[in-house]
Amino acid sequence: MSRWLLRRLVDAVVTFLLVAVLVFVLMRLAPGDPLDRLTEDRPMAPAEQARLRTLFGLDQPLGTQFVRFAEAAVRGDFGASIEYYPTRVTDLVTSRLGPSLLLGFTVLLVNLIGGVWLGVLQARRRGSRLDRWLTRLSLAGYAAPSFWLGWMLVSLFAIKWRLLPAAQMTDPLLPPDAGWLSRAADVGAHLILPAVTLSIVSLAATMRYQRSAMLEVLRLDFVFAARARGLSERRVIWRHAWRNALFPILTLLGLWLPILVTGAVFVEQVFNWPGLGSLTAGAVMTRDYPVLMATALLVAAAVLISGILTDLAHRWLDPRTRDG
Amino acid sequence: MTSWLGLAPTGARRLLLAALLTGVGAPAQAQAPREATAVSIVLGAEPTIPVPAFSSSKQNVDAASLIFLPLARLNRKLETTAERSFEPLLARSWSRRDSLTLVFELDPRARWHDGVPVTSRDVVFSLTRFRDTTVSRTYALLLRDLAAVTADGPHRVVVSFRRPYPEQLFDAVHHVWPLPAHLLDSVPPARLTTAAFVSRPIGSGPFRWGRLEPGRLVELVANPEFFLGKPGVDRVLLLVVRAAEAQLNLMLDGTADAFEAFLVPNQITPLVQDPSLRLVTQPSLGVGYLLFNQKALGDRSKPHPILSDPAVRRAIALGIDRPNLIRSVFGPYATVVDGPMGQASWIRRIAPKQPGANPAAARRLLAERGWRDTDGDGIVDKGGVPLSLRLAYPGSSLPRVSTAEPIQEMLRRIGVRIELVRLDGPVWFERRSRGEFDIDYSQAVLDPTPSGLVQSWSCAGIGGSNVAHVCDPAFDAALTRAIGATDDPARHWREAIGVLQSTQPAVFLYSPVQSIVLRTRLRRVTTRPDLPWADLWRWTVDPAPRAAR
Repeated sequence: MSRWLLRRLVDAVVTFLLVAVLVFVLMRLAPGDPLDRLTEDRPMAPAEQARLRTLFGLDQPLGTQFVRFAEAAVRGDFGASIEYYPTRVTDLVTSRLGPSLLLGFTVLLVNLIGGVWLGVLQARRRGSRLDRWLTRLSLAGYAAPSFWLGWMLVSLFAIKWRLLPAAQMTDPLLPPDAGWLSRAADVGAHLILPAVTLSIVSLAATMRYQRSAMLEVLRLDFVFAARARGLSERRVIWRHAWRNALFPILTLLGLWLPILVTGAVFVEQVFNWPGLGSLTAGAVMTRDYPVLMATALLVAAAVLISGILTDLAHRWLDPRTRDG
Repeated sequence: MTSWLGLAPTGARRLLLAALLTGVGAPAQAQAPREATAVSIVLGAEPTIPVPAFSSSKQNVDAASLIFLPLARLNRKLETTAERSFEPLLARSWSRRDSLTLVFELDPRARWHDGVPVTSRDVVFSLTRFRDTTVSRTYALLLRDLAAVTADGPHRVVVSFRRPYPEQLFDAVHHVWPLPAHLLDSVPPARLTTAAFVSRPIGSGPFRWGRLEPGRLVELVANPEFFLGKPGVDRVLLLVVRAAEAQLNLMLDGTADAFEAFLVPNQITPLVQDPSLRLVTQPSLGVGYLLFNQKALGDRSKPHPILSDPAVRRAIALGIDRPNLIRSVFGPYATVVDGPMGQASWIRRIAPKQPGANPAAARRLLAERGWRDTDGDGIVDKGGVPLSLRLAYPGSSLPRVSTAEPIQEMLRRIGVRIELVRLDGPVWFERRSRGEFDIDYSQAVLDPTPSGLVQSWSCAGIGGSNVAHVCDPAFDAALTRAIGATDDPARHWREAIGVLQSTQPAVFLYSPVQSIVLRTRLRRVTTRPDLPWADLWRWTVDPAPRAAR
């Protein structure tokens, strides 16, 4: 186990380093100079431009720039943002992490509870009208582009019926002395539409996976045996069959985990959700290299860690996977 | 009891019920305690440099206009030469010693937000700094006629000019607003615009800097000691919303109170149908135009192989049906312009009319210059080289994206091949700044004064805003005459614009209408074409409850 884990960790570190180098090089090869962008915004003497170029290390060869970046990044220092100079990148990322985690956790929760339950329900009622309709709906949800879905939900629930806010994470006009309950309710109301938009797309996949896995398991002998022993149908489904149909969902969960960190760029833009996705999109537009590196590495770390966690969960739940 | 959709009758069902109740209950609770005396304004980007003259970006200028004050301000008609109609602000009055000297008396009640009085030292410091080319070449050019700025006591400032001209007052008060010398005079001139002051500015205006939540909002708080009167609004929240649809949605769902932009008809329709909103339209200083590069790409010392010929530029202008093009995209929310001047510019009324579209004349003009379709492919050529040009524009600009293809088609009909180059914002800006384009589809919000034309259309502007290297000594001479004209300035300006038009440095297409969307609960609202929110401190808010979501 420890050798396996060590090997996975070494693999993850190598992959992480490769991603760091690749992102660093590609970003600088892309056209668009971040300091040109800055001078678009403000009058700046050539001497000051040169000073900033030195400050951000942009006057150095690519290799030197990378070494400097890596040395600082190891200490958790990603430098100052070019666009928000002199704000530190870590402060920017930290301020966006909370909203991203909130949105991501909500989507994950909806996926786990709703997707699993509906998938199991479909498998139990295979071929029924309910199964057919849920299949149609899930496929429609899976096929719908998330930004389009977002606009549709906004136009109905926020603009036509005025039930929910169209964008932002909080109401800007909530008084500064509002109580925690009002604040929580406000965030909750703002969370619904972006979370539903993201969930509809991901829920469909979870349902499909769970349905297929359950159908496989429901055919197996131990399920017949459990029924023959006179156990209640609920006990057969949830205690016996579902536990054995969990592995595809674990894999899927591993794929969804990075959403916790990154959110979704399009959905964050549609709902002006102040998460890491919109920070990254803004950094791409302004060529804010330090912010882009920090967010890219965060995503890479999230993907790699969730991969390892998923594998660990598989090994823990299924002893057969521990061999080799 | 049968299971309900397969759920256990207790735990899971309760969980679902709780989730539903939370979802339904949340908005009902959230709408209850909204703040009545705060105003939220939607901005398209973050005001990271909210200091006057430090940035020309719209979001920064908008924020700066709430935090800072100029000595005096133009009237709403933006008449740059009408000295008597300027509104006194930090300067309570001004007088002329002679044709070369203006004397400003500062209002002794004016204070910076940290409590320090605004004095003549601040005015001298600010104007002197921005005349320094190490701070800004652009401002040094705009303030080139200021000879000296001196203090005569704590509240009197004397500004001397190199020559008599009608816009002396405008130049002294419009471009540079007083900044706090006690906080900035220790900053090296070259570092002024990147100083820490920028991230937490101390102004003299009706609102103080409150806080910045990066990527979300900027909060400004009313300055109760504002010497011109306590603002009628307690807080201003500048919401940072990048996506155009989300900007409109925040107005339509009742979250935001005010929004200003160049809108097109399909954006305006839902806004005017909402009874809690009202739309104010006014002429803008914005202009969209196709800018011809006069120098070769890659070697700026050589003329552009095709566009250095004024006849080709004129032919392209004749090939574009501007009224139809503009009507199809903007409907009634833009007008065709005949020069680099927005609808709100007073000079627009006197500018000579440009000829309308005439494809036959355009083809004739090209043929006279040797451009003929020798191979029958529909594209004219000369010496085996087809008349093919690249039109660069940023993909984020809806008006430019919408009009680029029709322009391409119109020019194809006169035998000119246009390759559309839709670019990411920073790439477009970088290529534009470096002159790496054939035709650049530009859109700019111009100064209210025509003398600002010196930046982009005169030889003196090369190396700065004049990225196309437009340089015609005849226009420069006419511009100098017009700026200095004290007798019949309109005639001189008409002549100067005529000279500019004759060389066809660009095809001037449109000036959009400025659309300001306001919630009806806002009262005593006045807006300006140059600074829409500058008078917000005079507004009041209906204390009645806000519209429920």
